[in-house]
Amino acid sequence: MSSIFDVIKKRRSIRRFQRRAIEDEKIRQLLEAAIWAPSAGNHQPWVFIAVRDPKSIEKIKVVSPGIFDIPAAIIVVCRDMRIAEKAGNPELSIFDIAMASQNMLLMAYELGLGSCPVKSFNQKAIQVLLDLPEHIVPELLITLGYPAEEPSPRERRDGVIFFEKYGHKQG
Amino acid sequence: MAENENRDLKNRDLKDDLFELICFMLSSARGLMDEPKAYGPFRIIDSVSRLISILEKHQLADDFLVREKKKIEEGKYSVMDGEDKFREFLDGLMVDFAEELKKR
Repeated sequence: MSSIFDVIKKRRSIRRFQRRAIEDEKIRQLLEAAIWAPSAGNHQPWVFIAVRDPKSIEKIKVVSPGIFDIPAAIIVVCRDMRIAEKAGNPELSIFDIAMASQNMLLMAYELGLGSCPVKSFNQKAIQVLLDLPEHIVPELLITLGYPAEEPSPRERRDGVIFFEKYGHKQG
Repeated sequence: MAENENRDLKNRDLKDDLFELICFMLSSARGLMDEPKAYGPFRIIDSVSRLISILEKHQLADDFLVREKKKIEEGKYSVMDGEDKFREFLDGLMVDFAEELKKR
């Protein structure tokens, strides 16, 4: 098993996938990783839909300009707005689903899968295609598959880490 | 299968392919209202590539278009390397198409 730091540093956004199905067990592990994310007030305002049917994937792709290849599966990460609003500050739920999504991206790497978070998709169209009720709002697609590419690490931006006060670079 | 039936099947496929391209372009149009400026030219060039793929699938693309599609696929991600590189890539394509236009 890799160390968590290795997984964090080696994960890449994978946009090209092999034509190979993902084992159901791996999808279940990803979803399990998602629901163990931190959540403000433990409201867990999320809903995850795992789409594996190739025809449905093809249709999602048509309304998702951010998907460039045909993934083996897509996890549609949604906010349950009834829960998010009941919690008092619906904006906080965005952080919750972001943390759940990161759990899935890291878990995917650990399981030998490639993944990419995709925000460029049409929310209304996804709601129609997946029969989502109005209060279940799709916020992010996570495309998944066995990688068909090995992207190089992209440069990290300098000057973003300080100690004690803004501008103090030495710890 | 009779020749007419064959043609109908092919046309139906073409209609489906074009319908999907229309869905893609509409989704892009809506998405671009909220997305970074550089995504605009990227979505258009991606649509061009998808359109050529459809023409290719239905044996309607000539060698020039097939060649250009390959170039688009190889270069379209230069959008991530900054505006200058992407502009240079688009300029290159425009020169190719203008030269081809002159010949036709």
